[in-house]
This record gives sequence, structure tokens and C-alpha cells, in this order.
Amino acid sequence: MHNATAIKNPGPFQISSQLKMLLGLFVVLGIAAFVGGFMMDSKRMWSSFVQNHFYFLSLALGGIFFASVQWLTGAMWSAPVRRVSESFTAYLPIALVAFIILYFGMHDLYVWTHASHVKDDPILSGKASYLNVPFFMIRNVVAFGLWIFFTKKMIGNSVAQDANPDYKFTAKNRSMSPLFLITFGVTFTMAAFDLLMSLDPHWFSTMFGVYCFAGLFYSTLAATCLLTIYLKRKGSLEGIVNDNHLHDLGKFMFAFTVFWAYIGFSQFMLIWYANLPEETGYFIHRLHGAWFYVSVFLLVGKFAVPFFVLMPRDAKRDQKVLVGVGVFMLIAQWIDMLWIVQPEFYKDGPKIGLIEIGLTLGFLGLFGLAVARFLSKNNVVAMGDPKLAESVFHHHQ
Amino acid sequence: MSHAESKGPELAGVVGFFSSPETLLKATQKTREAKYKHFDAYSPFPIHGLEKAQGLKRSPLPYVTFLAGLTGGCIGFGFQYWTSAINWPLNVGGKPFNSWPAFIPVTFELTVLLAGLSTVGAMFFLNGLPNIKKKAFDPGITRDKFALMIEAPPGFGQASDDDEYFDGVTPVKKKVVDTGTAFEVSSATSFLKGLGATDIKTVYNEGWF
Repeated sequence: MHNATAIKNPGPFQISSQLKMLLGLFVVLGIAAFVGGFMMDSKRMWSSFVQNHFYFLSLALGGIFFASVQWLTGAMWSAPVRRVSESFTAYLPIALVAFIILYFGMHDLYVWTHASHVKDDPILSGKASYLNVPFFMIRNVVAFGLWIFFTKKMIGNSVAQDANPDYKFTAKNRSMSPLFLITFGVTFTMAAFDLLMSLDPHWFSTMFGVYCFAGLFYSTLAATCLLTIYLKRKGSLEGIVNDNHLHDLGKFMFAFTVFWAYIGFSQFMLIWYANLPEETGYFIHRLHGAWFYVSVFLLVGKFAVPFFVLMPRDAKRDQKVLVGVGVFMLIAQWIDMLWIVQPEFYKDGPKIGLIEIGLTLGFLGLFGLAVARFLSKNNVVAMGDPKLAESVFHHHQ
Repeated sequence: MSHAESKGPELAGVVGFFSSPETLLKATQKTREAKYKHFDAYSPFPIHGLEKAQGLKRSPLPYVTFLAGLTGGCIGFGFQYWTSAINWPLNVGGKPFNSWPAFIPVTFELTVLLAGLSTVGAMFFLNGLPNIKKKAFDPGITRDKFALMIEAPPGFGQASDDDEYFDGVTPVKKKVVDTGTAFEVSSATSFLKGLGATDIKTVYNEGWF
């Protein structure tokens, strides 16, 4: 019925030089906050560093996760927005550098790196065969290696298909997707356990990995939706992405708002109900002092607000609503990460100052520049995707 | 013969068959533009944009789901609160009587249960199902035929119980209060012919029993 030649290739996308300058400025501010924070209060700087590292790492991994799910399921609707999510993976090599830098902050962040402390603590002594610096570095670098390997292969196939619209690339990615997704499930859980859960090495929750995954997909969908709308407004995706695709992204955001709440509540309720001393510490810190209000914000702000705002059909088809909710969801995810990291160091309440804002902007700048570079080198739409033509004329019943 | 006391089946309308989804879509659009008030399109599979061509309004079903879910949630939480904190307070593991986190799973399940069942029930009701009064006028509409029926308004007329029914003679016209294009078998037939229908039939309501 429809003809693929009707779709005009929008080509790569160049961000304005002003925006590039702004992102560059963010990076400079980030470096200033890193150096300044390191000299003034290194523990506080590193806690913000690990928080933002994990936040943006999640976005980068979320990009390849989203794309993999589309390849695996053979989804039609997502063909015009898949390249947008693929662009997030451009940050992965920078995340690897950030992880290497984090090595120098391990002593400040992780009490299990203190040999004298571990010796006197039977629990930490028992965990020492897993929680030790060499193994920590090796397994996490291996995880990065796997993530970058899969990304290079799969996104390479996707980009190669632009020039040569051969179905074999789709078939290859469909075959690699389950391998990646299984690898991702294991390695991302490990990264969440290592980087965040081991901040309190006595505490454990088997749901922690999936909790972090819920946040990963929550923020990835919001970021994909925002970048899609941005590219549409700039004209690149105009005529390719229509309200129906945004509606589907909105449904995804709505669904994973519920998923996050479901996982978050499940983790909380089981610990609350069992009331075992080795598990309750985590929530005791977070339900007392000013952290209590942050916890309430997560329940109301991270769950209830997007849930009710995105519920009506018209809201999911309204770009203004999607932009508002998308930005809000990204901020809520950032606060969630703050809520995971900071109570381990500051029991009374959150600390948000120049160090936190500066580092966040720095990571944002790096992430933005990496994504912009990807988009400037590749088509913003997967032009060779065999499902693109059908999807551009995607309508809802 | 006396038309006034006829007992034959009620006239359903005039149906035209089309060869493709595209022609049906165009015909539907034109029927709506011609200001026919009662008409319906039949297709073996969903056709993009057909609901717009028909001018169908959005279903009120989501509101039923939302309100039923809200009701289910309130009942679920309220009943647990009433039993645990008011009617029969029990000390369980030293936790407060109103241990709301423990109530959430049941609250959630009841929200989903009531929302789900109400949605199915309301869907049946809004679709007028189960429908034992009207048979499908042609089994082909679930297979390979695309049809557009210009319907007679309710109470329009009945076929007489004699042979005329089979000859398709215009039935008696009762008093019809309606706006838009008035229904008449002959004009509807020629209208459908003009739209390019390959086959045109006058059909009567037939029940299942």
C-alpha cells in the first residue's frame, strides 16, 4: 500500500554551536566541581560522582536495551525512534573512563576496601572473597567490555543497514539480542550490587538489581521521548515520527512508572514485613530525618504524578505534556539515585550544593556531547529498517 | 393484504458490498458526508481510519475502567483497615494495627480485579452483546467481504408476511423522527450504487432463535 521511497532520509543531525558551547561549558563546570570537590570534601564529591556515573551509565545501557527489545520482538511501531535510543550508547566509552576514575574514589566510598576494618568485621571478612578491589575492578571492566562489544556489533549492524538495506542485518541483531539481554541482566545486576549496594556492605537485597533496572528503563524511555520530540521540532523527524509513535512512547513511560513503583514497593514491603535486623538498616536511614520527605517524594513524585498525568489518552499524544513529564521523570530518577547513594554518608538529609550540581552538569555535558557526536555522524532514522515504511504510516485503531 | 398488521421481520437496511478496504473506506466517508445518520461498515479485519470515516466517538470504556479501579482500590484498602484497625484489632509482630504496607497487595489486586471485570462487562454492554436478535446478514463479512449498511432507523418498517417480502418491495413507512438524510430504500440503493457497490441487498433483521 505504501512505498518506502516516499520517506525522505533526514540524514545526520547537527546541534547548534550554541548548544555545543553550552554542553562544553557544562563539562568545564563538571571538571571544576570535580577538582574543587576533591580538595574540599572528597567523600562528598565521590558520592556525587558515583551517583551520576550510575545515572548516565544507566541511560547509555538503556539505549541498547531498548533497541535490543525492539529487534528481539520484531516491533514495527518503534522503527523511527530506535536510532534515537541507539544514540545514547555513544556515552558508554566515556562511562568506562568514568569508572576507571572511580577507582581513585573507592577508598572514600567503600568501607570494604579498608583492610583493617574488614579484619575486625566477621561479616565483611566473610564477603572478602567477592568484595575486594582487584576482583571488583576486573569484573566491572569485563562487564564494560561486554557492553561495548555488543553495542559496537549491534549498532554497527543497524548503521550498516542504512547504506545497504539488507534484511540480514535485522536478522543478525535479532539473533544477538537475546544474548545481549541475558548478559545485560547479569552484568547490570552485578554493577548495581557493586557500585551502589556495596556502599553499605552489610546490607543486601536480591531485588536491588531489578530496582536499578526499573529506574534505568524509566529514565531511558523519558530521555528517548524527549530527544525524539526535540529532533521532531528541529525538523529531522518531522513527517517520520507522528503522534502515534509518541503515544506509544507515552504508554511505555506510563507502564514503566508502574513497574518501578511495583518493584520499589516489593523491595520495601518484604524488608518491612520480615523486619530482620540485617535488612532493615537501609530503610531506617531513608525513613528518618529529612530523608523521609525524599522517600515521600519518590512515592508521590516518581510514581503518582507521572501515573496520573500520563493516564489519559490525549496526554500521551500531547508533546507539551510529554516534554513536561519526561523532564520531571529524569529529575525524579536523579533524586532516586541520590536517595540510594547519599544516605550512606549523610544520615540527616540530602546535601545538594555546588559539588552535586557541578558534577551533574559535567556528566550531562559529556553525555550530551557524546550523543550529539553520534547523531552528527549517523542518520537520525534507521533508514534501512525493513519495518520503517510500515511504521511511518503507523496508525492506531 | 394489510401492511399495518404485518408480522414479518423488521427491515434492517440496505447493504452494499465492496471489493476492497479502500473502496469501503471511501464509501463510508461519502455516506457520512451525505448525512446519513444510521449506517455501519463491516470488514473481516480492522481498517485504519474507518472509525474516523464513520465519525465514531471515543468509547466511554476507559472511564468505566478508571472508576471501577478506584472503587476496587478503596474497597480493598477500606475493608482491610476496618477489619485490622477497627473491628478486630490484632497485634501482629508488634506492628501497628493500621499497617498500610501490608494492605497494598490486596488493594492492588482488588483494583485490578474490579477494573478488569468491569471493563469486560461494560464492553459487552456498550457493544450490545450478547446479540440474539440480529444475525449477521452475510457470513462473508467475517471472511472476504467488505460491506456498508445504510440502516433503517429503529421502527422504520416491517416487511409484510406475504410474498412481497421476498420481492424486496418497499415496506410500510412508519412515522420516523430523525434529522439528517431521511432513509428510503430506493434512494439508499441508488446511493450505494453510486458509491460503486458491487452487490446491493435489502436485508431484514433475523434473530438467532
